[in-house]
Amino acid sequence: MAQSRIREFSSSATKIVSDADGEVVGRTRIQKMAYLLELAGVGDGFKFSYKHYGPYSQMLAESVRIAVLFNAVTEEKHQTDWGGMYSVYRASPSDEVNAVRKQILDVTKRANAVQLELAATAAYLSFEGYEDAWAETSRRKPEKAQHIPGAMELYREISSLETPNGWPVVN
Amino acid sequence: MGTSQRIRDPLHDLIKFDEEPFESMLWEVIQTAPYQRLRRIKQLAFSEFVYPGATHTRFAHSIGVFHTARQLMQIVERDLEKVDRWKADRARVSIAAALLHDVGHGPFSHAFETVCEELQLSTTKHEERSASIIRNTEIGEILEKHQDRDFKIDVASLIAAGGPTDVYSSVVSSQFDADRLDYMRRDRLMTGTQHSEIDYTWLVENLKIARLRSGIDDEPTDDIETFVLDQKAYYAAETYVLGLFQLYPTVFYHKATRCMEAIFTQLLMRIGTLVKDDDYDNIGLPKGHPIISFFRNPESLENFLELDDTTFWGAMSQLCSAPDECVSQLAGRLASRNLWKTFDLRLTIEKRLQGCEPDAVERTIANAQDEILAWSTDNSANVPRAVLSSTKRDPYKVTPISASPLNKVFIESGDELVELREISPVVRAAKTYRLNRVYYADEDNEALRQIEKITESCIREQENGTV
Repeated sequence: MAQSRIREFSSSATKIVSDADGEVVGRTRIQKMAYLLELAGVGDGFKFSYKHYGPYSQMLAESVRIAVLFNAVTEEKHQTDWGGMYSVYRASPSDEVNAVRKQILDVTKRANAVQLELAATAAYLSFEGYEDAWAETSRRKPEKAQHIPGAMELYREISSLETPNGWPVVN
Repeated sequence: MGTSQRIRDPLHDLIKFDEEPFESMLWEVIQTAPYQRLRRIKQLAFSEFVYPGATHTRFAHSIGVFHTARQLMQIVERDLEKVDRWKADRARVSIAAALLHDVGHGPFSHAFETVCEELQLSTTKHEERSASIIRNTEIGEILEKHQDRDFKIDVASLIAAGGPTDVYSSVVSSQFDADRLDYMRRDRLMTGTQHSEIDYTWLVENLKIARLRSGIDDEPTDDIETFVLDQKAYYAAETYVLGLFQLYPTVFYHKATRCMEAIFTQLLMRIGTLVKDDDYDNIGLPKGHPIISFFRNPESLENFLELDDTTFWGAMSQLCSAPDECVSQLAGRLASRNLWKTFDLRLTIEKRLQGCEPDAVERTIANAQDEILAWSTDNSANVPRAVLSSTKRDPYKVTPISASPLNKVFIESGDELVELREISPVVRAAKTYRLNRVYYADEDNEALRQIEKITESCIREQENGTV
């Protein structure tokens, strides 16, 4: 773990859940929400690198664990129909939320989890210099390729939001 | 008529590259400069300072992974040909990826990744660098010449994907992949440790392919094919999972190894900072030295490929005489294996809070780490006076959130496929291994006093219910 104060970062993790009306469904989803907030310039300083499910922050994962440990966030684990499990995170909803954050969190909260993973992945790859980010996303995740059109539509919606940093153009 | 190429390997004995075009191409890849560089990167980095025999290289490991991947792929071919789903082109991509999966490692492997992360360099993970090397160097040219451009890009993308997407890529990266099946056995052999032995022959003999449901968070995706084990390999599977788990505390996370890594990390971070400040004279190396060149332009693949373990050790005597006190001190420690002392924060707190709920222990550790870090930040000049070292390892995904079936071990049980964790009380009972240590200089008595004082204070807060 990096030489950073984990308690400070855990407050930021809590804030993401709070700003999303107090509930986020899925570990993958919270990672992608946080990444898109960083990309837009309204994030909390989490650093992301590429993992199997796309942009991933070890510090965010650890911060969520600490937030749950200190009861700032609750985590409910559920069995899925497909045999895996998923988490539901809850925290007290924020009284006031930055307008841009709110818009991004609203869109990503209701997005299909697979499409959100693909859209965040394509945005990450484009930001990292891939000129054919959708094609590269498809190559890295061939088993989810049929969800790419939905993910493109989702990214169009996300990138229509005005943000301090703007959004990478994903080709 | 050519001849097949042969390598004598301490783990696998004879590894042959057939004379047919595909394996001849892979042999040609091995002869390239970026691949030969792996001879100069040790597989276990600083572990040789604990286990002197552990001097084996990423080169030997990578060829072992190729050999193992080829064996696993024969099982995929056997089972998928029966149902007319075998894809030979996909298999070739995976076998090439197995050979090339580590080509992007920097000096001292994972410790170098930590440096890149701490200094926030854009490319930090070795998988991304491997992909970049495949796309942009003579390795890619060879793949493109003998296959085509798509093949080269597919090999690079499979490695960069960082995890399995289908049964072919699961041979390269999954809960049961060629990488682990090689390094578990090779690292055991070369360190000389006598535990963690697995029954490789029996495991492979009992492997087969099955279709399972998959998904992400609460959303299902298509069914996927994956490796599963026959019931007869139940105990071999248990040994495999637990054997891997035991290598972490005893070898990979050994306190002396992790200490050397921490010193190396601090040293390179200091050099990186001096380069950023244009303060070259204090580093003690010529401005054109590969280490300096890398930090001046970390995006350059050429600069990266100049780095290996020997670049670093070759610079050691100059770094030991560096005008910068921090550089010379840290280099001196590495050169003479003069380790920092270890304060085992987790062990101390766990002993004192015996009987408390696990979450209370974790909260106390989190608080103590933050306080120690704050003290060190406020009271250190260049080298931190207290360096935290924390990590964890699951024996098996204890809470398999979003875990694809490709990342689990399934056993046939009658007509059903059951996840190993569900039927093995031993695997289910194995808890996540966590370590939380603090390193400090042996002569820095004040640092030790402060670490002990902060730890004591956090324990008392917990005991008094004020956390």
